[in-house]
Formats: sequence, structure tokens, C-alpha cells
Amino acid sequence: PCRAQPKKKKKVDVRREQAQKDRMKKKLKKLEKAAPELIPIEDFITPLKYSDSSRVRSLPPLSPEETERRVLLLKKWCLFKQKQDEAEKKAIQSLVESQQEALKELRLESEELFQAAIRRDEGLFPFQRDGPTYTPPLAGYDPPEGKCVDVTKVYTQ
Amino acid sequence: RPWRLFGAMCLLRLPRITQPLEKEEEEMAALMGQIELEKSHYSDHEIRKLEEEERLKRRKESLYDDEDDATGKTVIMAQDLEDKWEQKFLQFKAAPRITDDDKKNIRTSLNRKLDSNLMLLVKQKIGNQELWLLPQVEWQPGETLRSTAERAMATFLGDHIQAKILGNAPYGIYKYKFPRAIRTEDNVGAKVFFFKAFLQSNDFTQTELKADYLWVTKNELGDYLKPEYLKKVNRFLLD
Repeated sequence: PCRAQPKKKKKVDVRREQAQKDRMKKKLKKLEKAAPELIPIEDFITPLKYSDSSRVRSLPPLSPEETERRVLLLKKWCLFKQKQDEAEKKAIQSLVESQQEALKELRLESEELFQAAIRRDEGLFPFQRDGPTYTPPLAGYDPPEGKCVDVTKVYTQ
Repeated sequence: RPWRLFGAMCLLRLPRITQPLEKEEEEMAALMGQIELEKSHYSDHEIRKLEEEERLKRRKESLYDDEDDATGKTVIMAQDLEDKWEQKFLQFKAAPRITDDDKKNIRTSLNRKLDSNLMLLVKQKIGNQELWLLPQVEWQPGETLRSTAERAMATFLGDHIQAKILGNAPYGIYKYKFPRAIRTEDNVGAKVFFFKAFLQSNDFTQTELKADYLWVTKNELGDYLKPEYLKKVNRFLLD
């Protein structure tokens, strides 16, 4: 009697524990199979406080002269940009032609120099350069001190 | 082969400030600002300003001043904040866009015409003439044309120049025949291959070996270069 009972308890416990573990594993598999939640892009969701009607700006309506001026300005802008674009394309075209001519002459000169010139320049890319600013850098300028606290929300999938 | 080969380097200093806007661009920018203002809603700061103006008006119109004076605390108005910011902005003095070197037209300094590309020109002796040219050096067998151009740069500016050469291929070519006196069977003329590079290092102690050098923009090239040479060089300069 003393020996038989503890043995049964162990078996039942082991089997029950096994059944519990299997159920947990099945639940985990189901959760993993479900598609991961999409991270919300905070820029695309307008907060509700900005759609209040009290926030709408009240300005006098546009006069017809103003609308006409705007339309004419847009047409002038269109033409200006078109000319600018054409000039750029022409400049690039002339540069390419000049390069092709140079390579042709080089080929006439010597084949090995030509092959050396055609080879790809590995050190050229990635090419990085800081763009121009409105005013040149001020010599000896001490920017004011400040602390920047980053409050961006980080989402994990 | 009857042609002598030269490698020349066109060293460009890229612009440091933005070019001034054209008339159409300025008008368009103003129009865009106006349209943006019309289509926008009020911001928190503007709402605060409007409410405070309302309160001020009511206080002036009403005969008796009630809560605001009783509490006695000074409220910072949005208008005061704006004035304070405006003052702070006016106190800041930015560096001038047109430098001293621009006004005196010192063409040997790098600090002029900050909004356009500057190119290096040197005075070299070709045959028996002293000419203004892009720095060039004769090609020696056993090196590529790109290393010739690098050598040209190094002879005129020293070894410590950091320049990014744009590719192995030449950008342009200038062919000329020697005058009949010097021409022989083997030596009909010369071909000058141009390479382009961007100057990376900002200031460098200009250890010039041969004295005369200039940094010029594309428009000023015409003052110094010969017409045929200028025509070939202008083809591969974008500006």
C-alpha cells in the first residue's frame, strides 16, 4: 500500500504536466503564426485636437486679380523651370560628348591607356559632401549650450 | 606615335553658399508661403495669442478690472515671447556672403565667389610662350593618365592636397600641332587630356612651387585662356 500510491501520483502528475506543456506550446505556435502587428507611422495619424473647427483660419477671400496674378505666375514658373531643365540637359549632353571624344582619341593613341581609363573607379562611391548653406561658417562662433531630450516612441513587432 | 601626351587637372572648389534666387524663384517662394498659410490651421501659439488679445480687449473695455489684477501675478503674454525671440535674432550677426576678397577682387585667394565653382589656373611655359593653362604635365610611359594628372596637381600644389578625382576616364581633350619649326616625323603635336577633381581640404598652406596661379570662375576663364583651348574646356564644365 505504501509503495503503490506514490507511484500513481507521479505518473498522473507527469502526464498532466506533459498535457499542460503541450497546450502552452500550441498556444505559442498559434500566436507566432498570426501576422505581426503593423507599427503605426506617427506622421500619418493626425491627432484629434487638430481637427477642431475652432482652429480654422479666418482670412478674407481672394480677389479675382489675386487669382489671376497667381495663375500667370504659375505659368511663368512652368516656362522658367522648363528652360532651366533644358539647359541642364544640354550641359550634361555636351559633357558626355566631350568625354566620348576624349576616349576615342585615347584609343587611337594607345590601347592600354584606354583600358586603364575605362576601368571602374572603386574609391569614388560612396561619395559624401556637405551641401552649401546660406551664409559661410563664422570663424570662432560658440554655439549656445542646450540639452536635447529624445521622446520618440519605439515600437517592437 | 607622333603625338606627345599630357595630363591636365581641372581642380574645382565647390560652392560654399547657395546661389541667389532668380526673380521668378523669389516670387514663387512668396506665393508658396502664402498658399501654405491659407491652407493651414491655427497653431497652439497662435491660439494663445488670440485669446490673450481678446482678454486684453475685454479688460480695456470693461469698467472694472476683476480677476487678473486681484491675483497680482505677471502673466507672460505670447506677444512678449515673440518680441524676445525677435530681439535675440537681431543680436546674431552671420558671416557676410560677399567676402573682403570679393570686394578687392583678389583672384589668388580661395575665399572669393563662395557661391560658384572656382578652378585653378597656372602660368606655364609651352615652347617659348608663357600661357595661362590648367596645370598639366607630360605623360611618362609606365603610368596611367590619371596618375599623370595627379602628378600635375602635386607639382603645383604640393602633396598634402585632398582632392576627389572623378573617375579614371578623361573628361576632355585638346589637340594642337606644333609650329612647323619644331615639327618632326615623330613629334607632330600634343594631346592634352583633362581630368576633373573636387577639392576636399578647406585651407591649405599654399606652397606654390611655380609662382603664378589663379582661382577663377567659369565666366572669368575667358580672360585668361586662348579661345580654342577655352572652347574645349567649356564643354566639360557644368555651371
